[in-house]
Amino acid sequence: MRDDLILQVKDLSVNFYTNQRCNMALRGVSFDLRKGRTLCIVGESGCGKSVTANAIMQLLPDLSRIESGNITFKGQDGDIQIEKLPKNGKQMRKLRGEVMAMIFQDPMTALNPVFTVGFQMNEMIQAHTDLRKKAATEKSIGLLTDMGVPLPEQRVHEYPHQFSGGMRQRAMIAMAMACAPEILIADEPTTALDVTIQAQIFELMLELKETEHMAILLITHDMGVVAEMADDVAVMYMGNMVESGTVQQILNSPSHPYTIALLQSIPVLGHGKNQNLEPIRGMTPDPYHRPPGCQFAPRCDFATDICASRLPDESVFDTNHMVRCFHYEEIKRNKEIQHGKK
Amino acid sequence: MINFIIRKILALIPMLVVISFLIFLGVELMPGDAVDFMISPEALSTVSPAELEALRDELGLNDPFIVRYFIWLANILRGDFGYSLQSGVPVSQLMANTLPATLELTVAALLISTLLGSLLGVVSALRKGSIADNVLTVAGMIGVAIPQFLFGLVMIVVFVFNLEWLPVGGRMTPGRELFFQRLEYLVLPAVVLGLALTAGVMRYSRASMLDSLNKDYIKTARSKGLKEWRINLIHGLRVAMTPVAVLIGFRLPMLIGGAVVIEQVFQWQGVGQLFVMAVRSQNTPIIMMIAFFSVLMVLVSSILVDIVTAILDPRVKLS
Amino acid sequence: MGTRALQKKMDQILYREQHGLLKSSNKSRALRKILANKLAIIGLVLFVAITILCVFAPLFTPYQPNSIDLRNRLAPPTFGHLLGTDQIGRDIWTRILFGGRISIFVGLGSALGAALIGVSLGTYAGYRGGLLDATVMKISEIMMSFPQIILVSILVTIVGQNLWNLMYIFILTGWSSMYRMARSQMLSIREQEYIQALRAFGISKAIIAFKHMLPNAIGPIFVNITLSTAMFILQEAALSFLGLGVPLDQPTWGNILNVAQDLTILRESWWVWLPVGVAITVFVLAINFIGDGLRDAADPTLIG
Repeated sequence: MRDDLILQVKDLSVNFYTNQRCNMALRGVSFDLRKGRTLCIVGESGCGKSVTANAIMQLLPDLSRIESGNITFKGQDGDIQIEKLPKNGKQMRKLRGEVMAMIFQDPMTALNPVFTVGFQMNEMIQAHTDLRKKAATEKSIGLLTDMGVPLPEQRVHEYPHQFSGGMRQRAMIAMAMACAPEILIADEPTTALDVTIQAQIFELMLELKETEHMAILLITHDMGVVAEMADDVAVMYMGNMVESGTVQQILNSPSHPYTIALLQSIPVLGHGKNQNLEPIRGMTPDPYHRPPGCQFAPRCDFATDICASRLPDESVFDTNHMVRCFHYEEIKRNKEIQHGKK
Repeated sequence: MINFIIRKILALIPMLVVISFLIFLGVELMPGDAVDFMISPEALSTVSPAELEALRDELGLNDPFIVRYFIWLANILRGDFGYSLQSGVPVSQLMANTLPATLELTVAALLISTLLGSLLGVVSALRKGSIADNVLTVAGMIGVAIPQFLFGLVMIVVFVFNLEWLPVGGRMTPGRELFFQRLEYLVLPAVVLGLALTAGVMRYSRASMLDSLNKDYIKTARSKGLKEWRINLIHGLRVAMTPVAVLIGFRLPMLIGGAVVIEQVFQWQGVGQLFVMAVRSQNTPIIMMIAFFSVLMVLVSSILVDIVTAILDPRVKLS
Repeated sequence: MGTRALQKKMDQILYREQHGLLKSSNKSRALRKILANKLAIIGLVLFVAITILCVFAPLFTPYQPNSIDLRNRLAPPTFGHLLGTDQIGRDIWTRILFGGRISIFVGLGSALGAALIGVSLGTYAGYRGGLLDATVMKISEIMMSFPQIILVSILVTIVGQNLWNLMYIFILTGWSSMYRMARSQMLSIREQEYIQALRAFGISKAIIAFKHMLPNAIGPIFVNITLSTAMFILQEAALSFLGLGVPLDQPTWGNILNVAQDLTILRESWWVWLPVGVAITVFVLAINFIGDGLRDAADPTLIG
C-alpha cells in the first residue's frame, strides 16, 4: 500500500487576494493520492475543493498563492515538490499533461471553440512527444476510439460545438489520457451533463482507473457520485478538511457533524416521499467573516464553548479515519445508543 | 459561401434604392439652385429671366421631382453620374481623379491602425497592470478624445514647421510620382487619420484579449503543459481576433468620415475635399454621387464583416 | 504586473487582513467601485470645473467674447489677456469660456435629446416587437449606413447653419445608436422571469416596459449618454473646422479652433489654437473617464 502513494498533500494553505481582501480559501488541507484508487473530495460550493485541484496543477489565478504546506509528487525518479516549481516553468509544464492531467466541469467552455478537437489533442501530444503532425493525428484517432467516440476519423476534424455534451467530455478525457498520465484530476466532470451521460462518463473513468492503474482525484458536490465512484473520501467545509477516510468509513459511520448533516439532507432513492430529510440549519458563513473557531460551529447541533474558541485538531481512529471535531467520540456514542434503541 | 454573398448583395439592392431616393430628396431640399452659383452676382443682373429659365431647362432643373429622380437613377445604372454644375466636367471623371488618392489614404490608415492597434492592445493585455499598459491605456483615451484635425495640426507644427522632416500638404511633388517618392506626403495624413481607429482597436483588442485569457480553455491549455506563448498567442489571440475584426469592419464609415476632415487639413486632393467643396457650392450631382458611394462602401463593408466573422469563427454559419 | 509586484501586493493585503485593518464598508458596491476608479473621479472633477467656468463665464473674465480690439491683434498671453488675443483682438480666454457654454450645451443637449428619442423608441419597440420594431429598426439601419459627417453635412446645407439646427441634426442622426442599445437591453431583460410574472398579472405593456424594464437598463443608457456627449462635441468641432458648423459670429470651441487653418497663425500664434484644443480634448477626456467609470460600476461581472 505504501508503494502506491503517488501524490501527497500536506497542510496546504491557499489565500485569494481579490477585492482588496484576503480570503483564506484553504487552511491546512492534507491527503494522499494512491495509484489505482479514486479519492473524492466532496463539499458545497465555495468550500475549497476546486482550489485544491487547481493548486495541485499550479493553475491558481494571479491574485492567489500557496501560503504554506507541501504538494509532493512521488515519482519514479524521486520526490518533486510541486509548490516550489515556477508556475509555468519547464518542469511544471512537463508534469502537466505527462504526469497529471485535468478535466473540467464544462467541456463546452474548456475546449477552445475555434480549433478542431484533433488540433487540440495533437497539441497535447506534440507538446510532450516528438511525434509529427500525422502520427499525432493517428494517435488522437486511436484515443478517441478508446474513449468510445464513434466515427473518430471524421470526428477528429470537427469542432467542439459539433459534438454532443457527452462526446465532448469523452474527447476531453481522450485529450487528458494522451500522454498516459499517472494522476487524473476531474473537477466536477459531469455537473454539466445529463444524468444518463453522467453514468457513462463515470463508467469510462472507472475503466481507465483499472486498466491504467491511475490515481483519480474526483471533485464533486454529489454524495451519490461519492457512493458510486470513491475508494477514499475527503469532506471539506470552508477550506478545512473536516473528515476523511475510506468510502465505507465515511458513508457507514460518519463522525463529523457536518458529514452527518450532509448525509441526512440527501434523499435516498426508493425510500419514498416520507423520508426524514433534514436541511442543515443556517447559512454558509461569508468567507470574510469567518467564525473564530470550528468553521461549522454556528450551524452545529453539538457545538459547545470550546468549538467557538479554536479550530479542533485532526483526530485519527480506525487506522485512517480522520475527523476534525472536539466532540466526535461523544457523537459516536450517541449514535450507538440510538442504534441500540432501534 | 458564394450563395451567401450573392444573397447578401441581392438584399442590398432595395436598400440602395431607398437610400438613393433619400439622397435625391435631401439634395432636392437644399436651398437655391445650381444656376445661382454658376453665374456671378454682377453677371446675374445682365442675364434676363428668360435666359435663366432656358438655362434651367437645359440643365433639367424644371422637370417634376419624381421624373428627375428616375432619370438620375437610370443614368447612374448606365454609368452616367451627371456633370459638375460649375465646371461641366463629368462627375465620373472627377471621382476617377480623386478616388485613388482617398483609397490610398484610407487603406494606409486602415493598415496602420489595424496592425498598430491590435499589436499594442495585445501587448497591453499580456502586461496588464504594468507601466506600459497604463501609459498605453491613457494614450488610447487621449487618442479618442483629441479632435482629429487638431492632432493633424499639432503634427504639422511638430514635423513640418519645427523638425522640417515632412512636407506640409498635398500628395506629391511634380515629377516625383512613384509610390515610395510620394510616401513622405502620405505618412502624416495616414497616421493622423488612423489615430482614432488605432485607439479604438487597441482598447477593444485589449479587452477582447483579456476576456479570452480569462476563459476556461486557457486553463485547459495550461493544464496540457503548453508553453506560455502558445497559450497566449494561439489560444488567447485566435479567439480574441473575431470581435476585433468586427469592430474594424463597423468602424470603416468612421474612416470615410475622418478622411473628409483630414484631406482638408493636409490639402490631400481626394474625394473628401471634393465633397466639402461640393457641399459649400451646392454642387448637387457631386454631393449625390459621393453620398451614394460612401453608403455603398458602408454596406459592402458590413457584408465583409459577415464573411470575415464566418472565416474566423467556425460556430458561425452563413445563412 | 510582474510576479514580484503581485507578491508584494498580496503581502500588503495579507498584512492588513491579519491586523484587522480591513472592514467591509456599507457603501453600495457601485458607488465604491466608482470611488475606487481614480480616473473617473479625475474626470468628474474636470467636468464639473470646466462646466462651472463656462456656465458662469462672466464671473471669470472682464471681457466680452465678441468685443474687438484692433490695437491688440494676435497679442501673446499677458497678465491683461491671460491667453492672448486673436487676429481681431478678441480675448481668447473669454472666448474659450463663452464658447464652452455653446459647445457643452450642443453636446449635452444633443445627447440628451437623442437619448430621449432613442431610448423611448427602443424601450417600447424592443418590448412590443412586431411591425413597429421592424419599421424603426429599418429606419435606424438606413441612418447608420451613412458615414455620420456626410449625412450631417448634407442636412446642414438643407436646413441652414445655426445653433438649433445643428442640435436637431445631431439628434436626428444620433438617436439610432441609442435606440439599438436600448432595444438590445430590452430584448435581454424581456426574457427574464420577473417580466413574465408581470405579464401574467396582466399589467399593461407600456407600464412594464417603462416602469419595470427601463430602470434595469439605466446603467448602459447613462454610459451611452456620456459617450455621445463627447462624440457630439468632437463633431461640432470638426464641422466648424469645415465651415459647416455653428455660424462663425457665435464663439464655440470649434469656431475658435477654426482659425488654425491659417498656416501663419498655426505657426506663429500657438495661443490662438492650442489652449482651445486642449480645452476640447480635456473635456472630452473627462467625459470618457466618467463614462468608463460608470460602465465598470454598472457591470456586476467586473470585480472592483
